[in-house]
Amino acid sequence: MNQATAPDRQEDNPLRDVRDRRLPRVPDPCALVIFGVTGDLAQKKLIPAIYDLANRGLLPPGFSIVGFARRDWTAEREFAALVAHAARTNARTPWRDEVWARLAAHLRFVNGSFDDDEAFKALAAMLDGLAADGGAGSAAFYLSIPPSSFPTVLDQLNRAGLGEAPRPGGWRRVIVEKPFGHDLESARRLNTSIDQVFAPRDVFRIDHYLGKETVQNILALRFGNTLFEPVWTSHFVDSVQITMAEDVGIGRRAAFYDSVGTARDVVQNHLLQLLALIAMEEPTSFDPDAIRVEKLKVLRAITLPGDIRLHTVRGQYTAGWVAGEHVSGYLSEPGVPADSTTETFVAIRLGVQNRRWVGVPFYLRAGKRMPRRVTEVAIIFQRNPHLPFDPADVEMLGNNQLVMRLQPDEGVTLKFGSKVPGTTMEVRDITMDFQYGESFTEASPEAYERLVLDVLLGDRTLFPDASEVEASWQVIDPLEEAWAQTRPEPYRAGRWGPHAAEELLASEGRTWRRA
Amino acid sequence: MIGLWDTTGDAVVKALSQERRSAGGVATGLALTLVVVADEPQVRAAEAAATIAAAAHPCRLLIVMRSDETHPRSRLDAEVIVGGRLGPCEAAVMRLLGPLAAHPESVVMPLLAPDVPVVTWWQGDPPERIATDPLGIVAERRITDSARAADPIGTLRARAADYVPGDTDLAWTRLTPWRALLAGVFDTSVATPRQALVTAPSDDASAALLCGWLSARLGIECQVTPGESDHLTAVTLLLAEGGRLSVTASGGHATLASSGCPDQLLPLTARPLGEELAEELRRLGPDQVYAEALAAATGITSLPPRGGSRMRTWQEAG
Repeated sequence: MNQATAPDRQEDNPLRDVRDRRLPRVPDPCALVIFGVTGDLAQKKLIPAIYDLANRGLLPPGFSIVGFARRDWTAEREFAALVAHAARTNARTPWRDEVWARLAAHLRFVNGSFDDDEAFKALAAMLDGLAADGGAGSAAFYLSIPPSSFPTVLDQLNRAGLGEAPRPGGWRRVIVEKPFGHDLESARRLNTSIDQVFAPRDVFRIDHYLGKETVQNILALRFGNTLFEPVWTSHFVDSVQITMAEDVGIGRRAAFYDSVGTARDVVQNHLLQLLALIAMEEPTSFDPDAIRVEKLKVLRAITLPGDIRLHTVRGQYTAGWVAGEHVSGYLSEPGVPADSTTETFVAIRLGVQNRRWVGVPFYLRAGKRMPRRVTEVAIIFQRNPHLPFDPADVEMLGNNQLVMRLQPDEGVTLKFGSKVPGTTMEVRDITMDFQYGESFTEASPEAYERLVLDVLLGDRTLFPDASEVEASWQVIDPLEEAWAQTRPEPYRAGRWGPHAAEELLASEGRTWRRA
Repeated sequence: MIGLWDTTGDAVVKALSQERRSAGGVATGLALTLVVVADEPQVRAAEAAATIAAAAHPCRLLIVMRSDETHPRSRLDAEVIVGGRLGPCEAAVMRLLGPLAAHPESVVMPLLAPDVPVVTWWQGDPPERIATDPLGIVAERRITDSARAADPIGTLRARAADYVPGDTDLAWTRLTPWRALLAGVFDTSVATPRQALVTAPSDDASAALLCGWLSARLGIECQVTPGESDHLTAVTLLLAEGGRLSVTASGGHATLASSGCPDQLLPLTARPLGEELAEELRRLGPDQVYAEALAAATGITSLPPRGGSRMRTWQEAG
């Protein structure tokens, strides 16, 4: 909760009580303005998430959705049909006509291109009109648009005076999707141009990974229990492996992906955020700023390998078989130049330079066209320094592991040794499995649902801020620099990356966990 | 599924662990045990509700059906189901006959999952004092349903007299959508109410609790006035500044009317019993807000506060 963002009228509400956990928190009356409402993300994630929120009764009365796009829609009816279709096909919760009717009554559409001053004036007038109906003119702008259009749209918002709420108690917020720039310099430029329009506390950078229940559970697991924190140090931890594998290729995103590559696409944001959550010290409170302070300390303490080329691996998939289907190689994907040197796989060895983590390698790997889709964080503990057993008895005993699986099958597993029933003292690894879906199958809200609601409530806990983004680029930039002019190593689609990734760990006496 | 006729509690325990093994890994991360005390004629409704609740909170589900207590001989029939028709839970549905029907705890106790919270739900009339009922003592949370009683208001009074932290009532659960709506109104309005009127039949337990809640939170007088419908239909707040604010329910939504503002449509849908039960299973701590509302609704103000020690006297029943 962040009291600083908006005057919290819910605090003074006599009917609310912190002990009353049944009542949901509902945002103040507001509007959500979506730029790029016809895009894939808006259709597949954003609009369904809004419908689901409405269905769960978490949106304020009179909540408006305003679409901004260049379409010759003569009537708002066509926009409504598009939104209805998106909600109906992709929503998580069942379709209810009365919920839709309430949402549909407040749908607005503005037709225009991003360089059209008149369209932004119309948008400003429309938001003023909505404010006249009793609200404070609060609105969030969702920029679901290519990064190249950011400066134009931000300029326009500024020129039309949309960055500030017209009435006291209201707010104007902006929601930005990744990529947050493509290197430190561009990220700084982007941050500066956003800052010209919006106050830093009103900027929400969506990293949808952080909206996942299991990612938030990392903090609960670490700071809510006594069992794990004492061993969460280099005294007990041998290494940490963070894996984000996708079985899909780049699909139709060639134009975007080829200019970016895996490191910028997912390591800079998702993997480094995960690393920060795993490695951070305990925050003084669960206040967003307190958490950010700790995350930032970790991000700034990250060390790169001395010889980057030796301790990092880039890969690029070639044709192969994935999940029973033959798939083409990266270079044959439509839209990819035949001589592309963009990576589709990276494995990196990082360190965290502080007392807790000195000497513990953090192995990060991410890739496309891996054997299966899985994201997990594995804490690999050190071997017991002395085993009072016959070496033959503990042949099958490995390192203890604590694994947080973020998707799919969200859960936590703990791997430890146990005696095999029988007359010999044979100790073998077994896995204790906690699956989220089993203990709490209550359908977990989609990440976007949670994040959109948090934006409207002004809660910044799950959103990285400019300094975090810049600190992560400071990790990525030297890597990209060292990789320039090199070619990624080919790996066959459906494998866990190039052989060099195995060697990266093997050279230090370790192996990747089969995720 | 294992069906056991004229069996013993031991056999049920064994059957449950056998079914768990053969089902292979179902419900390994058990979060709670839900004990349902059902009456035979309504057992299907109880099962349906428990199935919905179990979908949200995988649990060990123990349904105890008290059948003919006058039967001369004690008898226990049981059905053990793991991950079957009752959803993602491991369940034992037990029918108790004869003198045994007065001692359901004797078959329930050995079946409770170790060291996880227990929730007991009395589908029909709860025992007069749930705090000392054997199935109430073992439970972290005790769920009753005053609305189903012949005398709902009298039952509420009994609940207040008997209250211990961890008690809750489905008549209160049913109010959550109403309370969310009303609280939402005060998020944006600075109006000061001076009197509240709840339109509902005078013997509606939920309406009485809503009144209790409003008067406890707002420090104002609240009255239930009968309307045309046989359930809670409207809440009106008379404001100190003059004017009024009313929320009226009609088919799936509610209309918020406030002097000087256009009417607003808000969501307000009735939920199936199972979803209400699932809401109760979501948080297992004592519900102090309920205690305050119950105290205000019944005028019994000495409800024990949070952390009050629970009476653990076992009473010999029948």
